Amino acid sequence: MLRLERRATQPAHLVLSVPLAAITGALLLGALFLAANGFDPLLIYAEMARASFATRYGIEDSLVSATPLVYTGLAAAIAFRFRLYNVGAEGQLVVGGICSAGAALLLGQALPGGLALALALLAGLAGGVAWVLVPALARARLGTSEIITTLLLNYVAVLLARYLIFGSRSLWRDPTATNFPQGRALPPASQLPELGGTQIHAGLVLGIVCAVLVFALLRWTRAGFDARVFGDSPAAASYAGISVTMVVLLLLVVSGAVAGLAGASEVLGRAHRLDPTGLAVGFGYTGIIVAALARYHPLGVVPVAVFVGALSNAGTAVQSLPGGGVPAAISTVLQGAILIFVLASEIHVAYRVRWRRLERTAS
Amino acid sequence: MTVDDGGVLEGRGIGKTFAGVVANADVDFAVRQGEIHALLGENGAGKTTLASILTGLYQPDDGTILVRGHAVRLRSPRDGLAHRLGMVHQHFHLVDSFTVAENVVLGDPRQGIVLSRRLHRTVASLGERYGLAVDPRATISDLSLGEQQRVEIVKMLYRDVDVLFLDEPTAVLTPQEVDSLFTVLRAMAADGRSVVLITHKLGEVMAVADRVTVMRDARVVASVPTSETDTTGLARLMVGRAVDLADRHGTRTPGPCMLAVDELCVDGAQGRRVQHVGLSVRAGEIVGVAGVAGNGQLQLAEALAGTRQPSAGRIVVNGVDITGRGPRVARAAGLRYVPEDRLGTGLAPGLSIADNVQLTGRRPLVGGRGHAEREATAMIARFGVKARGPRDIVRRLSGGNVQRILLARELSAGGTVLVIASPTRGLDVSGIEFVRSLLDERRNAGAAILLISEDLDEIRGLADRIVVMYDGRLVLERAVGGADVTELGLAMAGVAGR
Repeated sequence: MLRLERRATQPAHLVLSVPLAAITGALLLGALFLAANGFDPLLIYAEMARASFATRYGIEDSLVSATPLVYTGLAAAIAFRFRLYNVGAEGQLVVGGICSAGAALLLGQALPGGLALALALLAGLAGGVAWVLVPALARARLGTSEIITTLLLNYVAVLLARYLIFGSRSLWRDPTATNFPQGRALPPASQLPELGGTQIHAGLVLGIVCAVLVFALLRWTRAGFDARVFGDSPAAASYAGISVTMVVLLLLVVSGAVAGLAGASEVLGRAHRLDPTGLAVGFGYTGIIVAALARYHPLGVVPVAVFVGALSNAGTAVQSLPGGGVPAAISTVLQGAILIFVLASEIHVAYRVRWRRLERTAS
Repeated sequence: MTVDDGGVLEGRGIGKTFAGVVANADVDFAVRQGEIHALLGENGAGKTTLASILTGLYQPDDGTILVRGHAVRLRSPRDGLAHRLGMVHQHFHLVDSFTVAENVVLGDPRQGIVLSRRLHRTVASLGERYGLAVDPRATISDLSLGEQQRVEIVKMLYRDVDVLFLDEPTAVLTPQEVDSLFTVLRAMAADGRSVVLITHKLGEVMAVADRVTVMRDARVVASVPTSETDTTGLARLMVGRAVDLADRHGTRTPGPCMLAVDELCVDGAQGRRVQHVGLSVRAGEIVGVAGVAGNGQLQLAEALAGTRQPSAGRIVVNGVDITGRGPRVARAAGLRYVPEDRLGTGLAPGLSIADNVQLTGRRPLVGGRGHAEREATAMIARFGVKARGPRDIVRRLSGGNVQRILLARELSAGGTVLVIASPTRGLDVSGIEFVRSLLDERRNAGAAILLISEDLDEIRGLADRIVVMYDGRLVLERAVGGADVTELGLAMAGVAGR
């Protein structure tokens, strides 16, 4: 009979070794799935690893895909870690993208390059904050569930972006595109620079800087301390005279700001225009997975985002394998399997499994 | 097949280990038919574990269980009930939205799909037989804790148990309710059933038990008839050394008024919870607020501490009006609050000792970790906290050490008015001894202390004046010398007016 037993001591290595074992388990499950569909799992895994990490373009693509996930993972980690469930990073990212594209189009020609770029980034941040502010105020003052409000606002944000490009002759729409509507190209001065002749842009660096800043904020400041007390026990926070309203507002606003920057980074660094179909592809939701895999640790988000980014690229790569027929969805399957395995395995950090036989007694 | 004269239930050489912690080691324990048997010991001595093993909730690692002389194996509480062994746990297992009768038959394998129509009569007559007044049609959520406990006992009687274990049953009762519980237990014993009373209160053992088994550090240290022992002897057996639990009262005349409360009202979700309360506490004095849980004590304490907004009235601490101005203003005026809910309100359980030490203090905008850790290390040493260091997570500490940290933080610096709720609840004898001498010492140093507790013995043992709170009002005030237990108990039950 299998029994769980609380570990008397928790060896430090378990925090890493348990999730790694879980990822291996998920890959084995994925191998079964592939074999059942008539593919050679080893071949496909090798190709996935090669496409993500072994070629120059592979590495570039992985890091480009990871960039928005660093932000959205961070946005989710800031909120979820303290039991505030901001699932609206998707919408905050889109509005951030709209705002920074707007700022770049308005100011990019008129102002010197550095200043235009800074203002465009700031506009993206402000857009994310604006989109989270109503749910944050409702949660802090009225106790309204932020899960519902942030989730519903995602749909509003995505439809708003589509309207600006496909439904109206707005500032964002390219007036010269006659066949198919698309976003107006941003002036080069307000674009994020690319790093050393690659496709990787400065958005990645900025994302890592954000992660470090958030880490420092939570660890070394009074606001971070208040947040940790609130996350652990809201009653203890009010007992200590910490304003729970302010903590909730602060955390959700920072979370929304980081998600807004994700949109800014995508628009200013990768697309160079407002492209609703390329922007709202689920980075906000994948960010929740990234945060969960990183155990809501702001620095942990960075490597996990690279891993998940590489995984989604690999899906596209195996699709074009000679022989064909491998669906790109394999990477989604693996993402899901890894998330479930890692989350379910967390119990092993605190507990050990004991195998015990039931002995019989004569009675 | 062995037959033994050990009695109706016997455990031999019972051993149980949880994750490397020994809870029971080579325990021999026997219950005779028709006796009230006290199982006495400090927290963590292994009493509840032993009872849980003997009723089938846990399986022992070692040892044998004999029921009426036959070795049995109890794989679940259902097995225990089949052998007519039952337990009323400290936290009741009742479905709040069900009626009394429905709870009584819950899980009874004899019931068919449709509940028997005679059920209400059966439940009522079982109650009457032992003096347990319960209305079978009442809904659990409408009952007081004392009444819920009666339902739990009727539940066990309905299953016709021969041996009933009661885990700390008096913790939630008024003195009168304790008396009537003891009457019920005596009636059960007279009827040939056996009762095992798990407790750490020495007075109860001497009042009701025929025999007492004392446990310490997972082992049985003595098993004697109560007629051959006394409270001092039992305390020594239980703790392993002589303990001083004598009453302590203020020795000097109290000084000036430090805490003045006037016409205080607090509204809650279900109406007014504190009604026109007026009281004053002077320097060098402990005022005890007695009462059954849920009569507005929590709301009063939180209003004083500034975490709950009063709807009317005034609170003055050391001459400063702090009414409704929040916990920081209350602290700045010299008030310190030790809440009853230590883990979760007084302390953040998932954070370290160092973090918790700086919870209510002044914190710098950035940094301050090193300072907090040094302060925590000093407190650990001064208050005898058993912890590895300042980075230990508070949740992992035992109840007594948790309370020591909370008291260390709140009683260390600058507090002149102390509002302290149930400070010894759940603590073992050594912990109680520590808390009592600490409060006594602070009183003698000139602090004004408001001691809020459901435990009348605790209040009578420490306070100089006693007020009784019922339904949000202070209904009785007595100097400790003039306080009669019957009078206090009636006031706690809402029977007597001012």
